[in-house]
Amino acid sequence: MPDDNSHAAMLAQSVGDFVKRGTSLARVRKLRADPAEYDRTTWKTMADLGWLGMLVPEQYGGLELGLSEAAIVAQGLARELVPEPVTAAAVLAVGALVGGDNQELQQYLLPRIVEGEILPVLAWQEQAGTLEVAAISAQAVPAEGGWRINGEKRFISGAAGADGYIVSAGVKAGLELYWVPRDTHGAALSLETLADGRHFGVLTLTDVLVPAAHRVASVGVARASLEKTIDHAAVIVSAELCGVMSRALDMSIEYMKTRVQFGKPIGSFQALQHRAVDLYVQQQIAAAVLEEALSTLDSNPDAVTRAALASRVKARCSDAGLRITREAIQIHGAIGFTDEYDAGLYLKRAVVLAAWLGNAQEHRRRYARLVPPEFE
Amino acid sequence: MMTQATTMPDYNGMSDEAFRSEVRAYFEQHYPPDLRFMARRLRWAEIRDWYLMLSRKGWIAPNWPCEYGGMGLSPQKMIIFLEETERWGIARAPDHGIVQVGPILIKFGSDHQRQEYLPKILAGDYIFCQGYSEPNAGSDLASLRTSAVREGDHFVLNGQKIWTTLAQESTHMYILVRTDNAAKKQAGISFMLLDMKTPGVTVRPIRNLAGHEEFCEVFLENVRVPAANLVGELNRGWTIAKALLSFERINIGSPRRPQYALKRLAQLAKNKGLFDDQGFVDKFTQLRLDMADLASIYTRYVEIVKRGETLGQDVSLLKIWAMETWQRLTELLMEVAQEYGCVAGEIDFNGVGVDVLSPFYYSRPATIYGGSSEIQRNILAKYVLNLPS
Repeated sequence: MPDDNSHAAMLAQSVGDFVKRGTSLARVRKLRADPAEYDRTTWKTMADLGWLGMLVPEQYGGLELGLSEAAIVAQGLARELVPEPVTAAAVLAVGALVGGDNQELQQYLLPRIVEGEILPVLAWQEQAGTLEVAAISAQAVPAEGGWRINGEKRFISGAAGADGYIVSAGVKAGLELYWVPRDTHGAALSLETLADGRHFGVLTLTDVLVPAAHRVASVGVARASLEKTIDHAAVIVSAELCGVMSRALDMSIEYMKTRVQFGKPIGSFQALQHRAVDLYVQQQIAAAVLEEALSTLDSNPDAVTRAALASRVKARCSDAGLRITREAIQIHGAIGFTDEYDAGLYLKRAVVLAAWLGNAQEHRRRYARLVPPEFE
Repeated sequence: MMTQATTMPDYNGMSDEAFRSEVRAYFEQHYPPDLRFMARRLRWAEIRDWYLMLSRKGWIAPNWPCEYGGMGLSPQKMIIFLEETERWGIARAPDHGIVQVGPILIKFGSDHQRQEYLPKILAGDYIFCQGYSEPNAGSDLASLRTSAVREGDHFVLNGQKIWTTLAQESTHMYILVRTDNAAKKQAGISFMLLDMKTPGVTVRPIRNLAGHEEFCEVFLENVRVPAANLVGELNRGWTIAKALLSFERINIGSPRRPQYALKRLAQLAKNKGLFDDQGFVDKFTQLRLDMADLASIYTRYVEIVKRGETLGQDVSLLKIWAMETWQRLTELLMEVAQEYGCVAGEIDFNGVGVDVLSPFYYSRPATIYGGSSEIQRNILAKYVLNLPS
């Protein structure tokens, strides 16, 4: 594998080219009203650019890069509010699959995911307000040489046009992960519309039969792999938040320079300058924490360090993302409250990203549990 | 030129780890334990012995080149030295001579000035205070009015300085004075060195909110300063004063000092059983993360300094975030102390003694001195966000 910098530069270049030609806010607006949520032609383009295989081992056709590279793509796409579920499929689902112990299934699925033929999503969560992967009621009971699964999964990002789900379910000794193709009998998907026009899937599994070959991760590895994957995804979502907040801040500052009231650009007013500076400070801190998290996570730290860092970065980026996009509306005034103006799109995306995979409060509480305070 | 250079070990040639452990060991072995993590500024009588000990060791001026009696540390080693200083909670000595005057004389001074002042600063014979602020020139420092008029081989100074920290204990002042009234604000300012014993200098200490006399008013009435005490060119003082060293600009954002206060707060909260209170835990965790994230952004700037690059104006954000985070910490400490939050002096909380009010008081001016938070925001708005004026 070439050195990191060349990959980083290459990816930044490919994201830069893509956002110029392959997407636009007009496209984002059009897809808001579409239950399909995203566009499989664009998805294929992303596959061709290598983005779907960033975290896939080379032996399965991937680029086998780190989170730092994945973050470059996530941040760049988020700046343009690209609706395709790169994080949901290429980080969350791929992470669960790569961390599993079914080599034959990996061999079948991963190259097809990398090519954009199969779009998987991860269906692990059932309750709001917890990142505990074992806090589930779905059960997998041995049946007919495989398993019969019953349960209900929620908050499944990217589910709208997915080709299948990686589902967690409890077994006697813990939990396991299974591959459930979309058209499987007993697997019913409904959609909840989100602030940004995308969706969470709600997946109801009623006596779903899963063959033995479709077990993604056995009880021995499933839990640890799922925890790691969710931490990694929380960091990549934080990178998306950084993209969203930096674009919203740029928009606001640009507006402050051009909007004239009382005969002067409003950016000359100290009250607004200081408001903008406070947003800038938050954006810079978020970026610094993200940078530290990425470099530490790419060196594969122990589970507690990893989880604490993921929580720290998701807490900061969620808060900063929400604050900056909220205040972007305030800085723009009434025009900011119109659907026609783009600032609102950024607020709504930040609302979704801040809530998904644990909001700031939840991550701060998890951090507090993971890292006991030091006493003097 | 001085001769210490020949005896000073090659610190920059050491590994970071070896250098760090040597500094750490020395501090731990020699620094007076009862002077660790002091909330207030120490008086010369209290810190003098330590200053002189460092001086004898050759460590009093880590930032100066070896040829002038400093340690000649690279930015990388300098950061380590500062980190260890903070880690051990070593009090700030009257360091204006070391931090400001020395580097300024080395860069802008004459050979005569360097020979006259540098060895005496190192030896602790000359203690400098900073004569910048005036009653009508605070955040708007360039509007200063203290005048210096040339008369033969002297300048005659008239005016008043204020907020001069520890002027009453200083032997000298480095002072900004107006030498040209016709020029635009910044352009008519010069930088001089003033012996505090010169006739016409009157120092009046001012009691601060914490009850200590740390800053002073200094009155200057027909004070005759030898023309040889002008540093650099006439009317170029503003440029000289602005030439702050990189590590000084980031040191103020170091997360290590507030980390100690955070530990005290944690200890106090534990003794009061507050970790069972989710409301407290939420607030406390927010603060911890604000500090942890401060460390992340501080590290980013440290890396820039270590690479020997110049810091941009954006470093102002470090001071804003560090100082405002410190203030929030002292406010939570006060809240946690409940009724004791208004009691002066050290309070015993089930075996842990905590002074609640001192940190609160001492964090107040942190958003005022060294460029208030509002000035820092103005700088960021103008130079980083490029907002119109």
